[in-house]
Amino acid sequence: MTMIRAARRPETTAAAGAEPQASHDARQGHDSRPSAAAVWGGAATLLVGLAGVVCGIAALAGRSWSLSLESLFPMVGVQLELTPLGGLFMLLTGAVAVIVGIYSAGYARAGHLGGFPLAVMPIFVATMLLVPAAASVPTFLLMWELMAISSMVLVLTGHRRAEVRSAGVYYAVLTHLGFMAILLGLLLLSAATGTTRFAEISAAIGDVAPGARTVIFVLTLLGFGSKAGLLPLHAWLPRAHAESPSPVSALMSAAMVTLGVYGIVRIDLDILGPGPRWWGLMMLAVGAVSALFGVLHASVATDLKRLLAFSTTENMGFVLVALGAAALLTSSGMRDVAALALAAGMLHLLVHGSFKMLAFLAAGSVQNATGIRDLDRLGGMARRMPVTTTLFGVAALGAAGLPVGAGFVSEWLLLQSLIHRPAPGDTLMALTMPLAIGVVALSVGVGVVTMVKAFGVGFLARPRTDEAAHAREADAPMLVAMALAALACTVLALVPAALDPALRAFGRTLPVPVATLGGVVIGPLGGLGSIAPAVLAAGMVGAVIFAVALSRIGARSRPPAQSAVSLWACGADGLTSRMEYTASSFAQPMQRVFHGVLRPETDLSVVRAPGSSYDIAKMAYRERPTDAVEAHLYRPVLRLVRAAAGWVRRAHTGSVQLYLVYGGLGLLIVLVLAR
Amino acid sequence: MNQDLYTAAMNTAAGTLLLSAVLVVWRRELRAMVMLLACQGVALAALPVVDGIAHASAEVIGVGVAILALRGAILPAVLLRLVARRGPARRGPARRESAPVVGTSLSLLITALLTVTAFAITRPIVLLQATVGSMAVPVSFALILIGIQVMATRRRALSQTVGFLMVDNGITSAAFLLTSGVPLVVELGASLDVLFVTLVLGLLARQVQAHFGDSDVGRLRELRD
Repeated sequence: MTMIRAARRPETTAAAGAEPQASHDARQGHDSRPSAAAVWGGAATLLVGLAGVVCGIAALAGRSWSLSLESLFPMVGVQLELTPLGGLFMLLTGAVAVIVGIYSAGYARAGHLGGFPLAVMPIFVATMLLVPAAASVPTFLLMWELMAISSMVLVLTGHRRAEVRSAGVYYAVLTHLGFMAILLGLLLLSAATGTTRFAEISAAIGDVAPGARTVIFVLTLLGFGSKAGLLPLHAWLPRAHAESPSPVSALMSAAMVTLGVYGIVRIDLDILGPGPRWWGLMMLAVGAVSALFGVLHASVATDLKRLLAFSTTENMGFVLVALGAAALLTSSGMRDVAALALAAGMLHLLVHGSFKMLAFLAAGSVQNATGIRDLDRLGGMARRMPVTTTLFGVAALGAAGLPVGAGFVSEWLLLQSLIHRPAPGDTLMALTMPLAIGVVALSVGVGVVTMVKAFGVGFLARPRTDEAAHAREADAPMLVAMALAALACTVLALVPAALDPALRAFGRTLPVPVATLGGVVIGPLGGLGSIAPAVLAAGMVGAVIFAVALSRIGARSRPPAQSAVSLWACGADGLTSRMEYTASSFAQPMQRVFHGVLRPETDLSVVRAPGSSYDIAKMAYRERPTDAVEAHLYRPVLRLVRAAAGWVRRAHTGSVQLYLVYGGLGLLIVLVLAR
Repeated sequence: MNQDLYTAAMNTAAGTLLLSAVLVVWRRELRAMVMLLACQGVALAALPVVDGIAHASAEVIGVGVAILALRGAILPAVLLRLVARRGPARRGPARRESAPVVGTSLSLLITALLTVTAFAITRPIVLLQATVGSMAVPVSFALILIGIQVMATRRRALSQTVGFLMVDNGITSAAFLLTSGVPLVVELGASLDVLFVTLVLGLLARQVQAHFGDSDVGRLRELRD
């Protein structure tokens, strides 16, 4: 249970902790106009985002454009090119940046975001837009690293707090491990093909030995997987997403993370092409494990942003399941179904961008208003912040994958593609597909629990703290931005077929085709398992109106309600926040069921009253899930590194003379060898 | 200046460089070491001066004069001031390298070995271009290696500074002999660096002295993490 007051500066934290009311009043008295820096920073982010949207649409429309700046970097130069494949990601990143730009103009007010992060944010967006535009290996690596560094700077915005610094260290280490894997993979790729241009690599890929291709595949999957928050290099994600300012979390979760998927699609599907079957199987396995792992941790998280971050791992897991299924299905000759899986994956990627951005932005406005991220201390937002609550509800519905929510169609299509009967005698498919269905279905189910918890405990119910009880609705720019994001969610939920041209353009160069979603009725497999989300939504709205109207009519004939007299009150009258479910208690059944996976650390401390062995003055119970991957993969590796460092340290005695001897011997050896 | 005189002058300068380095290894009095360093500086300055006179190049002579001023006069003077600050007794422990890590005879043996190594590893350079100047390149490398040896085997901060300056003398002479004429600006920049390093090392020695009563850098052993 973390109780973090992230939004405030450290020097005011102590005072705010002692007198929440006073600091709250001070916040209310603040000038409500956004500062000039906030407006300029937000506008810059918005403009860069708009440029991204324009470029993305142009690329998807088939406009080709390329730029080669040979003098910008000696030896290699910088090569940029618009491709339909990258266009989809540019469109997504640009759209996210536009909305986040509007939002940050409001968020930056009251010192929650200084001038420096506001200035870095457009740079971060620009690098994210340039990654899918890179046309050569050096340019790609350069933009990738620039993106990592600028996001690193943004993560460390609140660097005065220890949690932020720790998140920064995790992010730096894991993202660079991933970068090293990508670097090695792409260097091997360009060495094997003898060129650095992606187009030429693509043409020469036939000459690369299967062994080298396998090594490149594994390295790039690992590296891009770390950016996409996939296991095993995922541990930065819940930390960095939770500790960075909310607009930055939204940018990272909705846009940057998807670029990991871009890398996998570009290098592993597009360039390396259809590989052996186990490639698809590996992607499927990584995706399935990530989805399950992410959603289980999300279901027991009590920190709102941490919960959303784990949900990102889950959703990227779904996307990878879709990619892996597409590769597997292609290799067994079912191209139609493979196309459906790929369409489901890409649709889910875009939809996830919209609802996760909205969720992070709503979480940010809650944090802005209360200074709280801990669900156990929130509650009652529906009364105090009705618009934010409604908008978070839209996001939660999308994340839960329920009908009329944004995530429903893509998850439905994914299940449809997995459920397809394999060709007779194909044992591998007959074994993996049901398992994948099980994992996806379980993840979606647990995802519903998670989102019910986030929305029900955090936004409905009664306020559990003073800060939550005195929250104020967010400013206009934030509300406008969130409303735009909600609009995107709704459009994607009701008419996903609007994305058809984009998806078709995207898949033109891929070895696996992308299925057409169709019109109002989405049924790419000829009527089998078709759905019509718009009709579904219209039916639901109609049913609600009908029920409300019916109850109104019924109410007329009913005798007037008696004034309430509390006899026993049945728990309805003197209800206090202590009687409600908290996020921890709501998640308790999940924690019990998945005890073996989550392995929570429990800590019970009892302080006895002085002079008595029976009276207890204070009891504190803490339970925190541990990360099994961290415990069983990271720790042993770190121990090994530390042991190796201990060996090296033996040579470091502190004697200056000895160090000089090392240096002299090194020089001698170099001179003798270079002779 | 005829060719024989030029060759003799260059060879003498190179020989003096090497001899002064060996003598630094042999002597333990700090003052004597500094004086030997000054001799080395003069010998080093002689290389460009002789070369400049032989080729009638004013700029190269200018470089030689600058080197003479810095390495023959200024740096030894800075170091001598440090020696003078040592304890009141004329032959007190602080004025001598009392207990070197390696004994004198063994040190001289190592010096001989390093010199042979230097000659061995620079053979390709000498064979590449057999001029009078490049014949002296092995001496430069020997100077570098011996300088490192002095730094590694002496305890006093001051003797280590002397070793450092020998390394730098070796680098400067190698640069001059191999390229026959480093631009004056580069030479001035490098010289300024060396001057600063020497001043800082002097400051360090003084601080160590003030804290521990002597300038044994072994005391810094505690500083490691």
